[in-house]
Amino acid sequence: MRRLLLASLLAVSCRPAADRPASAVPPPAQRIVSLAPSATELLFALGAGDHVVGRTTWCRYPPAALRVPDVGDGLNPNIEAVVARRPDLVVLYKSQLNESAAAQLHRLGIRSIVLAQDRLEDVARGARLLGPLVGQARAGDSIAAAIEGLLSAPPPPSHVRVAFVVWDNPPMVIGAGSYLDQLATLAGATNVFHDLRSASATVSLETIAARDPDAIVTLSDSTAPPPYASRPEWRAIRAVRERRFIMLPADLFGRPSPTAPTAVAALRRTLEAEVPR
Amino acid sequence: MSDGEGAELLAVRGVTYRYPGAPADAVADVSLAVQPGECHAVLGPNGSGKTTLIRLALGLVHPSTGSAEIAGRPAAAWPRRELARVVGVVAQREDNLFPQRVRETVLLGRYAHLPLWGGERAEDHAAVDRALERCDALQLAGRGLWTLSGGEYQRVRVARALAQEPRLLILDEPTVSLDVRHEMELFELVRALVDTHGLAAVMITHHVNLAARFADRVLLLAGGRPAAQGAPSAVLTRETVERVFDWPVAIEPFDGRPQMIPLRQPKEPT
Amino acid sequence: MSRWLGLVALTAAALVLAVVLGPAHVALADLTSSDIVRTLRVPRALLALLVGGSLAVAGTSLQALVRNPLADPFLLGLSGGAGLGAVLALALHVGGPWGLPVAAFAGALGAMALVYRLGLVGGAQLDPRILLLAGVAVGAFAGAITTAIVSLAEAAQLRNAFLWLWGGLSGASWNTVFVMAAYIPVPLIVLYAAARPLDLLALGEEPATHLGADVEPLKRRVYLAASLLTAAAVAVSGVIGFVGLIVPHIARLVWGHRHRSLFPAAFLGGGTLLLFADTAARVSVAPRELPVGIVTALVGVPLFAALLRRWTRG
Repeated sequence: MRRLLLASLLAVSCRPAADRPASAVPPPAQRIVSLAPSATELLFALGAGDHVVGRTTWCRYPPAALRVPDVGDGLNPNIEAVVARRPDLVVLYKSQLNESAAAQLHRLGIRSIVLAQDRLEDVARGARLLGPLVGQARAGDSIAAAIEGLLSAPPPPSHVRVAFVVWDNPPMVIGAGSYLDQLATLAGATNVFHDLRSASATVSLETIAARDPDAIVTLSDSTAPPPYASRPEWRAIRAVRERRFIMLPADLFGRPSPTAPTAVAALRRTLEAEVPR
Repeated sequence: MSDGEGAELLAVRGVTYRYPGAPADAVADVSLAVQPGECHAVLGPNGSGKTTLIRLALGLVHPSTGSAEIAGRPAAAWPRRELARVVGVVAQREDNLFPQRVRETVLLGRYAHLPLWGGERAEDHAAVDRALERCDALQLAGRGLWTLSGGEYQRVRVARALAQEPRLLILDEPTVSLDVRHEMELFELVRALVDTHGLAAVMITHHVNLAARFADRVLLLAGGRPAAQGAPSAVLTRETVERVFDWPVAIEPFDGRPQMIPLRQPKEPT
Repeated sequence: MSRWLGLVALTAAALVLAVVLGPAHVALADLTSSDIVRTLRVPRALLALLVGGSLAVAGTSLQALVRNPLADPFLLGLSGGAGLGAVLALALHVGGPWGLPVAAFAGALGAMALVYRLGLVGGAQLDPRILLLAGVAVGAFAGAITTAIVSLAEAAQLRNAFLWLWGGLSGASWNTVFVMAAYIPVPLIVLYAAARPLDLLALGEEPATHLGADVEPLKRRVYLAASLLTAAAVAVSGVIGFVGLIVPHIARLVWGHRHRSLFPAAFLGGGTLLLFADTAARVSVAPRELPVGIVTALVGVPLFAALLRRWTRG
């Protein structure tokens, strides 16, 4: 049974597999499985949303993505569930865990592309790579140009210092390797952990207290302060004592995204309201 | 209760015990009465119920019929600390999980005498020295247990039981794996403790000859049942020994005690 | 005597170091007035002392109980139970500053009860070998459920529960210090009272009985007290490995095998090791922080190897 299924799959997707767009441009993908929330958002932004036939459990944006069948996790994906969607293109998040998934797809003759999705540059690069694959090269160029324009403009002078706290015990903060650090800079804020090169890192509360940010930024759809706000050890941090929490909604800030210009503008407004100059 | 029997340190009466799930009784209808100043031997082949009898006598397992009393009190009713001040046991096996020194391990014999919270007192250390001296092991006091020979180790374990200052000493196969000299030394030691300090002793062994030489009374077990019981010369007859150990023997008197000589396998009639 | 003086001096030095050193610069003159020192460093140092001490004492007593020198407080399934409790608390949005530790504590107690019950399957006697096997099995079972919840749960942040479980002392506050300080004396006293009979237990259960130990109640008391210590430790600081395994052996090498001295030595030794390890975790890669369990292994194992070498030579 399974052999029959595999044989039929190979018959329909008998195109040369490639990790990158080949010089001979293949026809645009018609059935795409996206295994990263940022890629799903990018595909919809490129206008290829109608061709997305599979997504991860975590792909929640744009709302239209919720109508796409869920194939599970994006890291270490369930290949059988992916293949069952009969894709002609699979977009993977760049991670060690996904190397074997890409190799398996290759053996099955399914084209896949692996995209890094950590920084805003990755959005631009991803748009330029994905655009031609889905027959939207021009849309890809224009998204990339918008992001590149955002990044190349001189950032406004920083007037507020923030710390992005993504977990409380052990405390984890965002470093320079993350798109959030870039968003902060572009919105006129300084990430007090900009000296950490990784995307995120465990630090001591003492370090956060000593770096004394003006506000704590947290990804959250709720407006209530995070649960640790009332813990005594967190109250060693001035911003926690003064209850200066900035909650960023996940739709706009949850991943590096083509909507980065909107996110920057929203963050700038929030900062000005929360931490007046 | 009956003060007349209070003289009996150990009174096992008609005990029967079967381990859970076992097909047969390990011990059936066995009695053993030990008075102060007596040395008893419990004799029998491997698996004849010797060790189980001791566990019954100490109240560690409960007989389905019969009873076991120590100094007039049911064995199982004794709080263990109190019992340890009356009966010292040198078990067949023990572990040495963590390396110890001789004085340390003998001091463990004082546990039953120590107050719950206080430290060891001068009298405890004196008791340890006394016990080591009686076992001719004082010179070993500072040594690690792991450096001792088999004979020295057994002497130290007897010393630990003596440090309990018991009235009854029970030794379970104490001379297994000892050579002749150390074996004899240990039996001489136990006999001397009985003769000069008024202790009662129960030795479990499968050495017919040593039991006959050293014990006042012998209990011969076969398949968990008493095959014979009484003075060595009455118990260790050729017929009984051959039946119990399932091997042809000759019995010769030596020093007034019966001694067993196992015979060679008789030739097959051709 | 000099061993005790040395150990107490080492503990004091570790405490001082933990308060003076940190990723944030605090001048020596400002040490007493600094908020960072008063609300973060001092409670964290004290918690390290209490947690490290508790783990080492629990490990010492469990090694004697199951009569296996490889026993570790977390071998008895408690970490699995605590992890499950913590993940459930996160999944069910149990709020409040004590939500996570209380849930982890409850999970550890649940695992303890289950392991204890399984340890009694052979009858009325608690069998340490079955206890060990049951601990491993219950721990693995709870771990599997935890992983299933985490991988199926909607909230991505549940994955961070693992970070907490393998975490360290960053949740330290005066409140946690007070709760621990009020809680641990009871199990510690129970274990100290069991010190002498535990010495006997090293010979085996029947030899211990012959020497006057009430082995069955002893095993139950020791198991429960050691588990309660471990459950509290895991609730406030997650699973910190090696302290409960290595410190007892170091203490045995230096102090011998009598639990009367072993317990206090292990308590101070465990506290000291965790203090040094936590200070190193906070300072060595500042501003980042290392998981303290990694540092306890990095510090503890070479120390153990050095002592073992000296001891086997001497």
